[in-house]
Amino acid sequence: MQTLLNFIVKYNHWFLFIILEGISFMLLVRFNNHQGAAFFTAANGMAGDVSSMFMDINTYFGLKSANEELLKQNLEQEKEIISLRMQLARHSNKEALNNDPTFNSSNNEYIFNTANVVNNSFNALNNYIVLDKGTDDGVLPEMGVYNNYGVVGVVYLASERYSLVIPLLNSKSRISCRVGAGNSSCTLQWDGCDIRFSHLIDLPRYAKFEPGDTVRTSGFSSIFPAEIPVGTIENIEDSDDGMFYQAKVRLFNDFASIGSVFVVGNKGHNEQEELEKMIPRK
Amino acid sequence: MTRAYLIRIRNFVILVLLQILIFSNIHLYGYATAYLYLLFLLKLPRHTTRNELLLWGFLTGFIVDIFGNTPGINTAAATFVAFARNYILASFTKKDEADDYIPAASTIGSSGYIGYSLTCIIIFYVALYLLELFTINYPVTLLISVTASSLLTELFILVIECFNRK
Repeated sequence: MQTLLNFIVKYNHWFLFIILEGISFMLLVRFNNHQGAAFFTAANGMAGDVSSMFMDINTYFGLKSANEELLKQNLEQEKEIISLRMQLARHSNKEALNNDPTFNSSNNEYIFNTANVVNNSFNALNNYIVLDKGTDDGVLPEMGVYNNYGVVGVVYLASERYSLVIPLLNSKSRISCRVGAGNSSCTLQWDGCDIRFSHLIDLPRYAKFEPGDTVRTSGFSSIFPAEIPVGTIENIEDSDDGMFYQAKVRLFNDFASIGSVFVVGNKGHNEQEELEKMIPRK
Repeated sequence: MTRAYLIRIRNFVILVLLQILIFSNIHLYGYATAYLYLLFLLKLPRHTTRNELLLWGFLTGFIVDIFGNTPGINTAAATFVAFARNYILASFTKKDEADDYIPAASTIGSSGYIGYSLTCIIIFYVALYLLELFTINYPVTLLISVTASSLLTELFILVIECFNRK
């Protein structure tokens, strides 16, 4: 007994070391479940407050480029208004307008919201973005996030005032896209290496596309509306098993400098998910 | 004694704030990220007990982790460096010296200080990137990241050392 006690006293720093490393690894592993992610990340209140305080100061230094970005955004919206007016003129008959499915769906189905990025990581394998809007402002999990360059990611968790976004730069992120002349649908996934590129992993063999083609969201997942740009195809190769093509995609967004974003939610999202759950799985 | 502790806590707050607000946001070419808060662990006095070192390492890593959305990664790596620090320091200094001092170029010599800090930093980054990638399938990425980040951090530490020289 005495020798055991002596042993413990003599090597007590070893035990402390092992205990502390044990705690670290527990944190590391626990991060993979919901509670761990919500509690130990910048989505919790205090860390969020400090981050947004610093961001408040930081925004003053970025006012000039923010202005430029707003101007550009205004221009895009102006263009869109013009094109919509033209569409309206074409549908001068009121009944035809009501019956046009594309016009109705693009107007009523989605809820839009704006938010600012308060914390952004892009150097890890699983990156996260924290936004300054939460459930109080109508931001809910499973909403899509994009800016005027293209898709940013999907809301993962939302507290009252902050929300955690899984950006494209996260190995868990899957975005349904389409590309090329035939609008072939495929999945966008990040390999964890370069923040400028992502990969399309399951392009069918019959798909017709070439480097330079624009990749857009498909709208199938009901998270994003269709036709939001993602990036352009950089190069194409065979997948490991030869069943599909793989394509490297140059992303439109520079994830190192994301400022303000749009959050979009589909009113019919829950309904669609309920329906999809009824598909029998074997 | 109290004064020494107050200075230490001041340094701790300054380095951790610098780290989470500025240095954690710099990723040169997507590979090099400076973790300057390590300087705090390197600058603890020579005769700091191992347990105290371990607790400081754990605390700094933990705070950086919470603000960087990387729970556990910095904590584990910083604790490991805190554990290894005294052994590394002993291998770069004369063993029979009895007096307590803060490791610096003026106390253990320039080459001793560079060797000591660089060894600690490399150990830290190897641990950090291994935990972050959690695989050894990308040895080239790992090697580039460790080398680039270590050199960047060492550069910052040496610049600070030059300014601190009396």
